[in-house]
Amino acid sequence: MNLKIDGLSFSFGQRRVLKDISLEVSDGEFVGLMGPNGSGKTTMLRCLTRFLPSESRAVLVDMKPLHTLTDREVASIFAVVPQSSSTDFPFTGRDIVSMGRLPHMRSRLSGTRKGDLDAVQNALDITGAAHLADRAFFQLSGGERQRIVIARALAQEPAALLLDEPTVYLDISGQLDMMDLIKRLNKEKSLTIFAVLHDINLAARYCDRIALLNQGRLEIIGSPSEVLTPEMIQSVYGVEVAVRRDPFTSSIYVMPRTISTSVARHGTRVHLLCGGGSGGPLMKTLFDNGYSVSTGVLNVLDSDYEIANELHIPVVAEVPFAQISDEAHMENLRLLNEASFVIVSPFPVGPGNFKNLEAAENALVMGKRVVVIMPSDAGAIDFVGGKATTFVKNLISRGAYKVSTVEEALGSIRS
Amino acid sequence: MKERNGVMMTSSMIIVVAVVISAVASFSGGYYLGTMNDEEFIEEADGLTSIELDDVGNVVSLTITDDYNRTITLPGIPQRIVSIAPTTTEILFAVGAGDQVVGVDDYSDYPAEALTKTRVGSFQLSIETILSLEPDLIVCGDLVPVDDLEPLEVQGIPYFVFATRTIDAVLKDIALAGILTGHVQESEALLDGLRARIDAITEKTLDSSVETPKVYVEYYPLWTYGPGSFGDDLIRLAGGINIAANTTSEYPEVTSEFVISSDPDVIIFTLGAMTTTTADEISERPGWDQITAIADDAIYSIDDNIVSRYGPRIVDGLEQLAELIHPELFE
Amino acid sequence: MVGSTAQEQSGQDGQSLRTGRRRPVLVLSGLCAVLAATLFVAILVGYRGPIGPSVSDHMSFGQAIDGIFGSTSDSWTFWDVRIPRVALAGLIGAGLACAGTAMQAVFRNSMADPFIIGVSSGAAVGAASAGLIGLTAVFGVYASPLLAFVCAIITVFVVYKMGTAHGRVYVDTLLLSGVAIASFLGAVVSFLIFIARQQFDQLIGWLLGSLPLVTWTQVGIVALPVIIGVFIIFIYGRELNALLLGEETAHNLGANPESLKQMMLAVSALMTAAAVAFVGIIGFVGLIVPHMMRLIVGADHRILVPASTIFGAIFLIAADTVARTIITGQELPVGIITALCGGPFFLYLLRRSRTGGIS
Repeated sequence: MNLKIDGLSFSFGQRRVLKDISLEVSDGEFVGLMGPNGSGKTTMLRCLTRFLPSESRAVLVDMKPLHTLTDREVASIFAVVPQSSSTDFPFTGRDIVSMGRLPHMRSRLSGTRKGDLDAVQNALDITGAAHLADRAFFQLSGGERQRIVIARALAQEPAALLLDEPTVYLDISGQLDMMDLIKRLNKEKSLTIFAVLHDINLAARYCDRIALLNQGRLEIIGSPSEVLTPEMIQSVYGVEVAVRRDPFTSSIYVMPRTISTSVARHGTRVHLLCGGGSGGPLMKTLFDNGYSVSTGVLNVLDSDYEIANELHIPVVAEVPFAQISDEAHMENLRLLNEASFVIVSPFPVGPGNFKNLEAAENALVMGKRVVVIMPSDAGAIDFVGGKATTFVKNLISRGAYKVSTVEEALGSIRS
Repeated sequence: MKERNGVMMTSSMIIVVAVVISAVASFSGGYYLGTMNDEEFIEEADGLTSIELDDVGNVVSLTITDDYNRTITLPGIPQRIVSIAPTTTEILFAVGAGDQVVGVDDYSDYPAEALTKTRVGSFQLSIETILSLEPDLIVCGDLVPVDDLEPLEVQGIPYFVFATRTIDAVLKDIALAGILTGHVQESEALLDGLRARIDAITEKTLDSSVETPKVYVEYYPLWTYGPGSFGDDLIRLAGGINIAANTTSEYPEVTSEFVISSDPDVIIFTLGAMTTTTADEISERPGWDQITAIADDAIYSIDDNIVSRYGPRIVDGLEQLAELIHPELFE
Repeated sequence: MVGSTAQEQSGQDGQSLRTGRRRPVLVLSGLCAVLAATLFVAILVGYRGPIGPSVSDHMSFGQAIDGIFGSTSDSWTFWDVRIPRVALAGLIGAGLACAGTAMQAVFRNSMADPFIIGVSSGAAVGAASAGLIGLTAVFGVYASPLLAFVCAIITVFVVYKMGTAHGRVYVDTLLLSGVAIASFLGAVVSFLIFIARQQFDQLIGWLLGSLPLVTWTQVGIVALPVIIGVFIIFIYGRELNALLLGEETAHNLGANPESLKQMMLAVSALMTAAAVAFVGIIGFVGLIVPHMMRLIVGADHRILVPASTIFGAIFLIAADTVARTIITGQELPVGIITALCGGPFFLYLLRRSRTGGIS
């Protein structure tokens, strides 16, 4: 199926929600539709399904203008998966999937045909929802319901799936399961996918192309790496981000950078080298005592990273589970250089974050005052075969000040 | 007019509103379609308790007991009476107390002089109007909202209730009305006449040799007089057997099939302002052509007012009923 | 609402869902058999016949069968008196239950019933005013039903207009207008009863619903809209299913929610008004029966609509049989029976859904 949108506009009364949007989606493509809240994403989907009475002459499906089709014809071209579905009535999963056959009924008088039953069973099997078929729909979890609803969409035997933030109410594993399922349908059944997505990283990971809406206009359409640039995201979402490449999937990973919101504090600047939750209490103590704190390099899912964000502490971030890149390391050194003190928390040292220890060495070289917290004499929490412990001892012998508690660390930089 | 309808007015209106508001008749299921049991109110006791006279023979204190067994004491013969029921109005005028009546309810239309009196409302009384008439007594019928009258009694305007279910009780009420209004002689004369007419009927109709046909009287399609009601008493005195005598409420709605199965020999329907029933409509009811009364064309109408107002005209009703049920006795 | 509580509280107990639903043909055949049995018993029970509080000569079972299927001196008892009444009760029960099923789907609310759009309050005004405006002179015994029907339809139209804007039916607004107009008309009825108090008992009887004098003509007049209405609601079963997931989903599945709602409202209003006009407001059938059937056959309207229709007929025939025989000679408003059975059952459903069952 080829979808051609040529100058689509839509207004709610005087308010123009969609402004002259033109784009093309070709057969079997996975296109993500993104944009800030209120940018017109859902409205655009509703124009495609004709739920909203747009100037549908602007939409061509396989060269046929949308307005010439009947409702049931539209429903057998586009199957829609909404954000969530619910009903108080005791439908079973199979009842819900069977509804997908509605656009294909010959007449209201005709019964259920074998083709209908097969399509329903097929859809249940493909989506892995067969075990949910005889359970009450309202008793299913959010992810199970979305699976049933996708099965319903397949039972419609559509040319394209239109999805409206299908993972918004799901937890992280549900989100990935759902997106994997959609991608699989895209690949195996050559289903064209046009999906409103709110999570930039999910979109970057799954979409062939991304269309970015901003205030009702199509800002840009292209591959994730073309669209998801820090500049574009800054201009559309007004947020500063860093864009990295996920080392496992090689897809783009976008992280908000809070570095621009550096808090001016009265006290001395302290840079903290931490990770694995080791730096949290110290960050909080320093912050409460009026110090200006910065930290790095932390992986995005690290709890220290979360705390730093909460405190609005400048932090150099890295993609989850990834090795510290040179780029991040340089950024870390830049922040470190602005500080008067550098504190090294007893973080677990592995190959991925060994660069943070090297940063401490650099600090000594730069002539910074370096404090190393070591709760016991046993050495560092070492996942690099003793190399870390040796390195830390070496730091101490070269003038780093060793303490064993957070309080002592605070005392040492006060004196 | 059916006075009995009023007793349920207040509470049932709430029910009706609730029924309609909720748009389902459902929750009013507990509603009981019956009327007040008269037994406890009707006492055979003589209503007169005591009269005190002054030196010149004027009544200075009158103590009297009404049909609800309430005893009231009046400081003399009442001269400004408000009558709240067509029945009581008819009784008061019949005993010659018409001049003492200053106000009547909206439905009092007999005798014609009653129409000249001030109207005080009916089921919803206009207490303001009643007060402005400065009455010294209120006389009301059964099933009038007496709660509304309690505050007036506290203010020194007592009320007196006539409540009857039998023709004997009507006669007792006429006697009471005579005493209450100081028209004892007129009431005695009236009673003598009424008794003579009743006896003239019943000596024929209650004769053991007379056959008693089964009678069905309806005052609205399928609504009839049940046991203990006035209509039941009238049918008996007129020499008939009321087919609904064994139902369980005073004014039941019966089923069509019950009437057919009971096979009445005579069918009588009342005619009133709101009546839509006709003899043709009754004989066309499904299956009713099997009823003896309809096969014999023994289907008659009677004026609603003379069988439902329990005043002196009830004897007219008895006479007419007797003639309809036993035409052979009154040729 | 019943469903949402079940949803919140009952967790993952999905395995116990309705054993019967895989065999809809079996369930529907079973219901038809129960209907046949109910019809048979209801026709035999009465004041003349082998069963019931006979007040005349006893009729044997064989005589009754001969009377029903042959032409004997007993035939009129069945064919003129009882069968029309049983037939009307069946038609009205079927119509109310079917319309109730459709209204619950349109309002996506299991508390909706056929009277929710103002049919009963409009009909009540018509019935209460029939005696006052002298129509009986022209239409005789049909005056009251005719006026009740006309007023019901007018009321529904007003409620519909209130709930409609820019060609769209907003069910929330529709619901509120229905409630508002019903309470307004409730006051009007109270006023009319006040004026026409001579017919007070009769109006109460009508408001609670009863089937006192049934003719074949009435049966014919009610049969037409009920049969057409049931048929239309039945063939729209798939669309009603889709509508229950929301209007946008219904649209996305190719059903036109606006014309669907309009069609369902019109058909239900006609059926309900025709039913109510002759026999008054019989509550609970249209509310309870769809609930009961959902417990047995599930929510799929392709099965739910016929099941509710058949069971509605069974329910009202049974209730009316009780109403006309339980107190000797007397007509108990059938609405009292349906409420007496329906109320406790409804509470049971509520309890059940709160304690983890499925509604």
